[in-house]
Amino acid sequence: MQKKNQKKQNSPQLFAQSDQEIWVIVPAYNEENILGKVLKELFKKGLKIVIVDDGSTDETYRIAKAIIKENPGRGYLYHHPINRGLGATLKTGIEACLQKKADILVTFDADGQHNPDDILPVCQPIIQGRADVVIGSREFNDMPPVKKISNQLMNLITWIFYGSRVKDSQSGLRAFNRKAAIALDVESREYGISSEIIREIKHKELKMEEVPIETIYTDYALSKGTNLKVGLKILVRMIRYVLK
Amino acid sequence: MAMMLYQYIGIIIGIIGIIYSFLRFRDSKMSLGMLFVWSIIWVILIGLSLDPLATGYFASLTGIGRGLDVVLILGLIGSFYLIFRIYNTLENMEQEITHLVREIALMRENRDIESKEDEEDNSK
Repeated sequence: MQKKNQKKQNSPQLFAQSDQEIWVIVPAYNEENILGKVLKELFKKGLKIVIVDDGSTDETYRIAKAIIKENPGRGYLYHHPINRGLGATLKTGIEACLQKKADILVTFDADGQHNPDDILPVCQPIIQGRADVVIGSREFNDMPPVKKISNQLMNLITWIFYGSRVKDSQSGLRAFNRKAAIALDVESREYGISSEIIREIKHKELKMEEVPIETIYTDYALSKGTNLKVGLKILVRMIRYVLK
Repeated sequence: MAMMLYQYIGIIIGIIGIIYSFLRFRDSKMSLGMLFVWSIIWVILIGLSLDPLATGYFASLTGIGRGLDVVLILGLIGSFYLIFRIYNTLENMEQEITHLVREIALMRENRDIESKEDEEDNSK
């Protein structure tokens, strides 16, 4: 019931009413199939968007450019000349938002797995001053078995190495206030960024809350994200961090 | 005692190595520290080529059976160390490249969107 109410609050007017400016960071790498739809939905919500194209080799950049032209003054496009990974892409997005004087920064995957209606609920704890960082946690029971296991494994690994226990360490939907975004000191260039963010929340003693979010599993979204190979890479990086 | 062919090869490689290291240092492509490390490695190679039996002394010193084994083991350790260094250097370079790419991206905000092409479109 509570969730239903939250969804209702998501009209464009309500986004505008909050005196804190919400900026959405969309990291995109070869997402030509879905990016257009995702961006249009976000613009419809009246949000300000920073898109970072991470050296895509498909039409991602052109699609993003066209949509930003349709929404002048509300979208900013950044382009990595070569692919540098999710971590680097998020860092570029965060820096761009900070330059734009954003109050609240939201990261939002470009693969269409998030519901734009979840953005405001995820920002609520920050708007109300209860949290510096909010992680939108996906319901693991809705996930296909392989995804569920790999995400649980990543939670376990994050817990062992960084000592932080969270419901969903690999979630792509997160919100930061300015203070948290400035405090983040992350180095991972690739998917390891998600776990690193969890580590930073603990190190920098930021207040964190977890808000349940919906996940839209299309075949397309399933083929992306953290798979076993990426998981192993993250593990190696964590071991190196601990040994440092 | 007549010298074996491998001894000559060892000495020549050692001398070439020293010359090459000094040239790289002169061209500022190698730090003083690395010049020092490499010089020692090459001098050891020349020394052992001149007197292979000296490895026997190191063998008994370290408790490793034969002189040749000492050379092999040290060689392996040395190689691992170098791979480690190369790995770290690569990692640093990757990070520097990422830094540059991010800076370039931030500098070129909305580059193609607010370009002249647009103004021409509007004036039509």
